[in-house]
Amino acid sequence: MLPVVVVHGGAGHIPKERAENSTSGVCSAVRLGYLVLQEGGSSMDAVVEAVVQLENSPYFNAGCGSVLNVKGEVEMDAIVMDGKTLDSGAVSAVRNIANPIQLARLVMDKTSHACLTAEGASKFARSMGVPEVPQESLITEYSRMRWKKNLAPEANPVECQMGKMGTVGAVAVDKEGNVACATSTGGMLNKMEGRVGDTPCIGSGGYADNLSGAVSTTGHGETIMKVMLARLILFHMEQGQSAEAASDLGLAYMKSRLGGLGGVVTVDPRGNWAARFSSQQMSWAAAQNDTLHYGLYTGEHFRRSIRDTH
Amino acid sequence: MSAVLVVHGGAWAIPDELAKASVDGVKAAARKGSVVLRDNGRALDAVEAAVKALEDNMVFNAGHGATLNVDGEVELDAIIMDGRTLNCGAVSSVKNIPNPVSLARAVMEKTSHVMLTGRGANLFAESVGFSTVTTHALVSEFERKEWECHKTYAAGVLEDFNTQWTHDTVGAVAVDSSGNVACATSTGGIRNKMVGRVGDSSVIGCGAYADNLSGAVSCTGHGESILKVTLAKLILSHVEQGKSVADASDLALQYMGERVQGGGGAITVSPSGKWAATFTTQRMAWAAAENDVLWSGLDPNERKKENLN
Repeated sequence: MLPVVVVHGGAGHIPKERAENSTSGVCSAVRLGYLVLQEGGSSMDAVVEAVVQLENSPYFNAGCGSVLNVKGEVEMDAIVMDGKTLDSGAVSAVRNIANPIQLARLVMDKTSHACLTAEGASKFARSMGVPEVPQESLITEYSRMRWKKNLAPEANPVECQMGKMGTVGAVAVDKEGNVACATSTGGMLNKMEGRVGDTPCIGSGGYADNLSGAVSTTGHGETIMKVMLARLILFHMEQGQSAEAASDLGLAYMKSRLGGLGGVVTVDPRGNWAARFSSQQMSWAAAQNDTLHYGLYTGEHFRRSIRDTH
Repeated sequence: MSAVLVVHGGAWAIPDELAKASVDGVKAAARKGSVVLRDNGRALDAVEAAVKALEDNMVFNAGHGATLNVDGEVELDAIIMDGRTLNCGAVSSVKNIPNPVSLARAVMEKTSHVMLTGRGANLFAESVGFSTVTTHALVSEFERKEWECHKTYAAGVLEDFNTQWTHDTVGAVAVDSSGNVACATSTGGIRNKMVGRVGDSSVIGCGAYADNLSGAVSCTGHGESILKVTLAKLILSHVEQGKSVADASDLALQYMGERVQGGGGAITVSPSGKWAATFTTQRMAWAAAENDVLWSGLDPNERKKENLN
């Protein structure tokens, strides 16, 4: 059953013309993560590798391709968590770097802190030799177009959210049975400057614990935070629910209590996994036993050999 | 039902020379907050009032009296949460604001977001008319001297003794006569923290959480440890499983000690008015106002009683 890696490219409403890129993006990312695991790499290495791929792709709301804040600028959030030690690293509202997930990991590995924000995060990046990249390199035509459209006074913010690309994330269990999670995002379309969503908040954007499992979340950030979705799902798993049932319970609670939609990828230390969502779509992919699983719309579950290079 | 307000001024090895001021400070804050609760006042208003009083008090590491980061600056974190709606407001790494808890409340009530950080949080403060104070006004002479002194220690040396660190984050929880719960936490963070370091205090479910279905919690202690176990939510998950607020708090703090070697404290209140003030550090300054009684404590198992008025 081990190892396993599951990846998501965001929950929401992915427009048809971007669906294909979204699906191929998560499949590529999961393949790379799986390779790391097969070669004996850690679950932390695998989730970071997968998320770096998605950050580098312009088709996701993370790293390059991030949505813009109200001023037309890019501010990114990310988190990693190690299920063995409960160590975590996070950055919020960080600018001008290509891979926030790697910076989050550096926070975990190289500091005694768990989260660095804004200018402090940038200062730390410089001290670690992380190259500063021009903001332009992170901004795509698509994200600029969405930002402009959303500035219009008659823009419907909820509707506009639905058209955005998603936060990205991954969870994995390695051959040793250690779990890890990673989540990265540009945040919410036209958010206020300095707005921090669920992604870098431990227990909300992600959580990993060898005793129960790992979760990475996506969806309406503020709602995910209010119910602490990742931790909530793992509480259910601690009480005996399966990864799938726990994920559904968490998402259903978020919807019934607060009317919020989202999606999660979840894994337990034995390799059981789930990719569940209450939104219209979530691009996701999983790799286990040399099989690639993936889907986009509710109920979809395609399978292929991981070796198929399509 | 009777309203209850519990307040803390930090869980750590509070030295004798700060003990009286700390206990006086939490008692004064509890009195201030309980005045709000009288006459059917709201839990949310009460926790804000209590935490403001603690932020204004130089003795505690929040607002006035905040500790300095490695660059000698003050960066403040705060959170407030409404158990009825699960609405929440938080700010992290905000500068020159004397009452970050009020700014956190403004985030909750005047924006569609939950959390703002850094410059964005300061810009928002300006946009809604919050006045600023100089860093100088927020920092005590004592703190500046301590900061100079601690700069010579490598951070790693202090890590093994996280319970000895100054952890005088402040917080409050309350349940009002309508059965609504609320919580608030505010801090200047750890002395000599890295620039932009965010601890548990502004992170929902870690530094605090409130839900009418289970209760409200505010935490203090070693921030990075509190984050790892999502302490506030962990306590309430035990309450949801049927544990008393006292047992739930004990279990969770014990777990934090065993799993990640972290020390801390928590104040917890249930929607039915049960409350607890629990800690695994040497001391925690706390006070609780219930009916016409003011309870307070500092050392383990200490519970002093006096008239609220």
